[in-house]
Amino acid sequence: MRFDRDSKFYTVTFTFIVSFVFLIVLSGLNAMTSQQVKKNQELFMVRAVLNAMGIPYENDEEAINVFKSKITVEMKDSYSLFSSEVDGETVYAILFNGSGLWGNISGVLAVDSNVSRIVGIDFISQSETPGLGGRIEESWFKEQFRNEAIVNDKIVVSTAKVSDSKDDGLVDAITGATLTSKSIEKIIATYIPVLKSLLGVN
Amino acid sequence: MSNFKKILKNNFWLENPVIVQILGICSTLAVTNNLKNTLIMTIGVTLVTALSNFTISAMRNLIPRKVRMITQVLVISFYVIMVDIVLRAYVPDVSKALGPYVGLIITNCIIMGRAEAFAQGNKPLISFWDGFTAGLGYMFVLVVVAFFRELLGFGTILGFQVVPNSFPKWTVMVMPPSAFFVLASLIWIIRGMQIKKDVSQSSGGEKK
Repeated sequence: MRFDRDSKFYTVTFTFIVSFVFLIVLSGLNAMTSQQVKKNQELFMVRAVLNAMGIPYENDEEAINVFKSKITVEMKDSYSLFSSEVDGETVYAILFNGSGLWGNISGVLAVDSNVSRIVGIDFISQSETPGLGGRIEESWFKEQFRNEAIVNDKIVVSTAKVSDSKDDGLVDAITGATLTSKSIEKIIATYIPVLKSLLGVN
Repeated sequence: MSNFKKILKNNFWLENPVIVQILGICSTLAVTNNLKNTLIMTIGVTLVTALSNFTISAMRNLIPRKVRMITQVLVISFYVIMVDIVLRAYVPDVSKALGPYVGLIITNCIIMGRAEAFAQGNKPLISFWDGFTAGLGYMFVLVVVAFFRELLGFGTILGFQVVPNSFPKWTVMVMPPSAFFVLASLIWIIRGMQIKKDVSQSSGGEKK
């Protein structure tokens, strides 16, 4: 007997089997790579902490070793607080989470021991528009924050051209990505008071 | 064999998916301000188009007509998710840079278009070739658009500074609307060339 390709029974069976087979393959692949993906995510976190604190490393393996040997992690009020000695000074870093234009932006914010200057910032994950908001990952944007003074508990990400001064608490926004830039400003303004209370600085 | 050549010529030039069929415009606008992202994205689209065409063609005699489209979408999303998983596991940095755009390959009209127009009625191998060349045609257009947008918008090519710093950057080139200008100019130039050739061929034919 030849299949009746338009019968209801055949249609339903076909759809079921095809979806089933494809799903099995995909979930198999997902299970196979999940370990790797998890490792990658940890690595992103480790690299972000090191970048934000301004600790140099050569490659991924070294990054993990440096992280293990130099950085201490402690839990305080449900935040994980990283600390390390960089050039003789104690530097603190915190993981942050906040909403960007399209989705969650997470990363690491590092400050000096009396929360007067940003030591550095780096991002772990973001889903901003590639080529526009996604450029927050580019080093020119992140380097602007390096050693920038914190004025009134925040850093202003300005859409107007700002001077190179590190004492004014101003950095340049990304052209064409004002909303993402402003989200970063908001996230930093949220986490500086958090850091201050964690470190007991006023 | 000449069939393969004809498909290549059609998909790449005469019936280029973006320039002539005006398909896949959404991604053309979105990802073309940066050449590196464009390259990875178009490679993904090319692979997905080729493989999904192959698969759909291989099972074309089994697919019930009523669920034809659903099955096509299923196959396409299967490959897109596969690309996404592989990128995330083995080239995490690229996956990070592309963000949500990998998932959006599913909605690229070119893939669905080739599946419906070609793979549904042709043998697997030639369908694979058809999808592959359609992807190449798409890649060609996007790379040209991205080249000009990155050059004028950032003054760089693949991230390398190529124009002097004093060059005024065209901010508009970074924004999505500029893709309309660049793409429209490109369509204008290429269609102009194609139509001119058509006209000269047909008038030459009359003389004989």
